[in-house]
Amino acid sequence: MNMTDHAVQITRLNYSYPDGTRALEEIDFDVRVGERVALVGPSGAGKSTLLLHLNGVLQGSGTVRIMGRLLGENHLQLIRKQVGLVFQDPNDQLFCPTVLEDIAFGPLNLGLPADDIPRRAAEALRNVGLEQTVRQRSSHHLSHGERKRVALASVLVMEPAILALDEPTSNLDPRNRRHLIEILAAIPATLILGTHDLEMVLALCLRTVVLDRGRIWADGKTRDLLSDAQLMDQHGLEVPLSLRIGSSQPSARRHS
Amino acid sequence: MKHSFIDRYADLDSPLHLLEARSKIIGFTALIAAVLLIPPGSGTAFMLFFFLAAVLMGVSQIPLSYIVGRTLLILPFVLLAGIAAPWRDDAGFVRITTLLMRSSLCLILLVVFTNTTRFTELLRGLKKLGCPRILVLNLGFLYRYLFVLTDEVMRMKLARDSRRVGRLPARRELRLLGSMLGSLLVRSFERAERMYQAMLSRGYALDFPVLAPRRFTARDIVFLGVVASFVYGVLR
Repeated sequence: MNMTDHAVQITRLNYSYPDGTRALEEIDFDVRVGERVALVGPSGAGKSTLLLHLNGVLQGSGTVRIMGRLLGENHLQLIRKQVGLVFQDPNDQLFCPTVLEDIAFGPLNLGLPADDIPRRAAEALRNVGLEQTVRQRSSHHLSHGERKRVALASVLVMEPAILALDEPTSNLDPRNRRHLIEILAAIPATLILGTHDLEMVLALCLRTVVLDRGRIWADGKTRDLLSDAQLMDQHGLEVPLSLRIGSSQPSARRHS
Repeated sequence: MKHSFIDRYADLDSPLHLLEARSKIIGFTALIAAVLLIPPGSGTAFMLFFFLAAVLMGVSQIPLSYIVGRTLLILPFVLLAGIAAPWRDDAGFVRITTLLMRSSLCLILLVVFTNTTRFTELLRGLKKLGCPRILVLNLGFLYRYLFVLTDEVMRMKLARDSRRVGRLPARRELRLLGSMLGSLLVRSFERAERMYQAMLSRGYALDFPVLAPRRFTARDIVFLGVVASFVYGVLR
């Protein structure tokens, strides 16, 4: 297989936190261009830590290749343009006084022309379904759901080839959650979702990787893995309701 | 949770709002310095400055009630500082009136300044005037995260109050406060770490970019000229 078919190639990645806790052990993880992969596992499994390795914010031992290019100090800027990382808590990600400045932060750092940025920002806001009027507002005055979408927009505006999201649906109400899933479904980039929202995984990803205690325990078709009750139970997850009921008979339950 | 911002009215478009941040920083600093230099008891100078402040307030289009409200906030502190003065000697009364006039003038000027200048513009102005970049950057974070921290404190307070019935003995109350402050520090520290990771992820490399700033125009020169001649004229 050609190397450039791969968006992400990770081999034998190990990482320990400064206090010595082992966070990732012998991770081998490949993602093909255009693929949508879910990284599932309980809290503290190492999902966020693995995602932070995709753009070199954390660097463990082992090799990480992004779009065929070896991640190291000399390619960091380029790789950070290619890998968009959306953090779990939008308050961590939105640090500028206004929404527009937050959206412009990435493109300006990448040296994109400043007069092109309003247009890009408008497009990014449109892509996440937000009104253009939020631009001048402070992210502090937005709802949590809106902040999550602005955080996504602030990454989408950099037009990343790979989009990695950490718990994108956490703390969202059902409507905002549904809306976010629709937005993600429409994004053409390679998608890596770190989450334990398994219903979202079913809706978006054909492939799932189970991560627990810093190791990969399973890697396969989403439906196969998520319906394996023993596997789910071992790793602090559970078979999603929609798989337990069986997707063929929801109408029969309606009038009961 | 909602908070009021120090630059709440900064998005209006009065002539003062349209000035470039640098000229306002210089102009208002000069005015405030001049207010501090007015000799005690020179009533005319104070009246002239109050007149100027009134003109600026009028031009700025900021609601009068807002400016007055903000200015009154400081009064208790000023009174506390000067309350004993009138009884000390004969000049005491003059001293406290001077103190009152000075502090309210300074405050009016500050409120007008911060509410005619977006905080981001202010930061950019400071940077252009040679203020160290790292300081400007941190002021920006302060502006953004003050409110996140306030929220965190309020949530902690709610959590405390919902598990506490009545008042505790002072010692336990203090210990509780201590551990709340401690966990706030740890939380802020962790948040700073995550924020920095988020900044790196979007290509941050030690320079904070600013978008579509206002330009220094003839208007700014006029403003600075008026300020300079006013200060000179009154204090001469």
